[in-house]
Amino acid sequence: MPIVGSVSLSLAFGFSILTLIVISLYLRTNDTRLMETGRRMSLIVSGLSLVATFVLLFELVTSNFDIDYVAHYTSFETPLLYKLSALWAGQAGSLLFWLAILSFYTIIVVLRYRFQHHSLMPWVIIILTTIQVFFLLLTVFVANPFGPTKADFVVQNGMGLNPLLQNVTMAIHPPTLYLGYVGFAIPFAFALASLITRDVNPMWIRSIRKWTLITWGWLTIGIILGGWWAYQELGWGGYWAWDPVENASFMPWLTGTALLHSIIIQEKKNMLRVWNMTLVIITFTLSIFGTFLTRSGVMSSVHSFAQSAIGPLFLYFIALILIVSFGLLFSRLSILKSEKRIESFTSRESGFLFNNVIFIVMCFTVFWGTIFPVLSEAVRGTKITVGAPFFNQVNIPIGLVLLFLTGVGPLLAWRKTSKTGFIRNFSIPLLAMVIALIVFMVIGYRGYTIVSFSLAAFVLSAITVEFARGISVRIRKQKENVFQALMAMVARNKGRYGGYVVHLGIVFMFIGFTGHAFDQEKEFGIKVGESEHIAGYDFELMSVQEEERPNHYAWIADIRVTDLEGEFVTRLVPEKRIYFYRDPNPNRQQPHSELSIYETVMKDIYSIFNGIESENQTAYFKIMVNPLVWWVWFGGYFMVFGTIIALWPNRKKVA
Amino acid sequence: MGKNKFLVVIIGFITVTAFWMYWVSTNPSGTESALIRFLSIDELRAETNHGRVKLGGNVADESIQINQNDLLEATFILSQGEATLPVRYYGTRPDLFKDGAEVIVEGAMEGEVFQAEVLQTKCASRYEGDLRDVQTENIEEM
Repeated sequence: MPIVGSVSLSLAFGFSILTLIVISLYLRTNDTRLMETGRRMSLIVSGLSLVATFVLLFELVTSNFDIDYVAHYTSFETPLLYKLSALWAGQAGSLLFWLAILSFYTIIVVLRYRFQHHSLMPWVIIILTTIQVFFLLLTVFVANPFGPTKADFVVQNGMGLNPLLQNVTMAIHPPTLYLGYVGFAIPFAFALASLITRDVNPMWIRSIRKWTLITWGWLTIGIILGGWWAYQELGWGGYWAWDPVENASFMPWLTGTALLHSIIIQEKKNMLRVWNMTLVIITFTLSIFGTFLTRSGVMSSVHSFAQSAIGPLFLYFIALILIVSFGLLFSRLSILKSEKRIESFTSRESGFLFNNVIFIVMCFTVFWGTIFPVLSEAVRGTKITVGAPFFNQVNIPIGLVLLFLTGVGPLLAWRKTSKTGFIRNFSIPLLAMVIALIVFMVIGYRGYTIVSFSLAAFVLSAITVEFARGISVRIRKQKENVFQALMAMVARNKGRYGGYVVHLGIVFMFIGFTGHAFDQEKEFGIKVGESEHIAGYDFELMSVQEEERPNHYAWIADIRVTDLEGEFVTRLVPEKRIYFYRDPNPNRQQPHSELSIYETVMKDIYSIFNGIESENQTAYFKIMVNPLVWWVWFGGYFMVFGTIIALWPNRKKVA
Repeated sequence: MGKNKFLVVIIGFITVTAFWMYWVSTNPSGTESALIRFLSIDELRAETNHGRVKLGGNVADESIQINQNDLLEATFILSQGEATLPVRYYGTRPDLFKDGAEVIVEGAMEGEVFQAEVLQTKCASRYEGDLRDVQTENIEEM
């Protein structure tokens, strides 16, 4: 069986080169039979890549430990779900997975636009195939997932998957992220194709926008799930640490968000065409760069990067993308330049433009902080690490400006906002902001928290005003009730109102982020019957049970939480587990802390069981009280919901 | 309305951000420095006046000692090849912290002992290269 996978990949590689040749011939001769052949070959390349992926999945599920990859990341005991998710647990597998998703998207594009975009499609296929060639090159020659186990004996059982990764979220989070990363290849292919063919027809921009939104939606879900997993599983009480891997996904998200906004101006006003091209190119490059960051080992050390075979290949590929894309862009500048100028600072166009500038600047600060350790090590010999405080301090003010614009943008009119329009649109939101400002100052909040909450009030009321105005117009003119009016209004302009729902999500998330300023934590050891006090709560240790379970041994603490008045709040049952506890070698035993979190709208109570000292029966805990975290996830639902509204297909007629 | 005004605003914003990044990089707020040097044990020993730094290395075998009166207090030997350094840490330890584990510590020297305020183990899901070594070794044992 593994031979089938290996051969499929090699064949796919061969066919991918053929596809490039055949379509190039078509472009020379204009013989449509060649184009049809090229299209089919492209489908074969993608099909074979998918076959290889399914073969690897099959090997993982059937535990064929003759394959190195299978032996590394699974064992007989690994549950089925995690045998499947082992596909993206390691380097070779995740590169194949990248290829598989790209192939999946390519099949959709090739089939769906069979009768559309005639002049663009040959180039779109060439570009997508070229990206496939790169990943086929990696999986066939450099990191082949079907390589045999390097051992001179029969492997009886595999290593198994790290217990930390044995979590349902961890089975969903990487594929969603990948669907996001990889999806940007399609807008990129269309953009480049239009540059090559000098096609500036706004038709394709609509196709691009939809793809960008789908891709962006997946990336958003992926990032939020990653944060949620970290919070629920890793036990440091947070959801975002500005780790290079997180930054890798955040950067294309930032530029992709900028693109989603500025592409609207191109659709409506046919402006900013050069800028949008630049954004598409940067976003795709950043998603390749993200894969490079997470897969080359460059972040742990420059030296491990130099030893890894795939690191330099990725860098060459990124250089190739940048040179070709920007070379093309410069040679086509004269066609793309728009006659139109933005007319006023107070126009919606300028609002979008500033939003773009801020997203890009934010992306640059993240980029700088992420690569600075590598640069400093390469240039000066001493590695200087950049910690979360840098990213937080730099990005909090930028983020707040962005939050402000989230409220301002939709209130501005196209071209120029008149004075009366300004007063009509801004009076209620500004009033809400001032009231919030005064209230929070009186309560005694300080610094950024006041600014953040007041801006949240501003944006929330701005969005509410937008919805209320639209609804009231319909109630007056169409004699509908509130609900009918809301549904009809959203249905008529899904992009706009879907966008507002996403904005609501962003505001809720900012409320959640701000809660971080009020976090409290304490580490302590107590005996059964004793209690400890933190952040207005009492924690009494009721008991510690021990239990032997199929694949681990567990100590289960029972903590009773009461508030200051002695009212019962909740019970927390954090566990300390030892996986592989039967292994005589203590180093192979794997401790694992199973958290217990009490989540409410206002605050989370987060508990970690550190361990138990058997001699005098003292158990050790870390307790954190994290206000408003719930709002981060709540905002996440809104973002997904808003994206779905914006993507919801129109009724048949329009087509 | 001229194109130049926009340019001025945009360049102004970028300049302010650049200065802000520089300010944050050079001005540690309280105990949390934004930029921290990552040194080797030998480099650390060669210096006399060092502030807060980061070190990476492995936990020397059988060097972990946990205070039996307070489980949160641990001392261990950090090794980088031949070079070793005693480290003390107080707080919740990561699950992957054990003999041989690859760790990163952040803190400062106090006399002869490195007082770590942050103790991180390299997360297996994220640092592919490191996990690979361990696993290859384990497969060979089987």
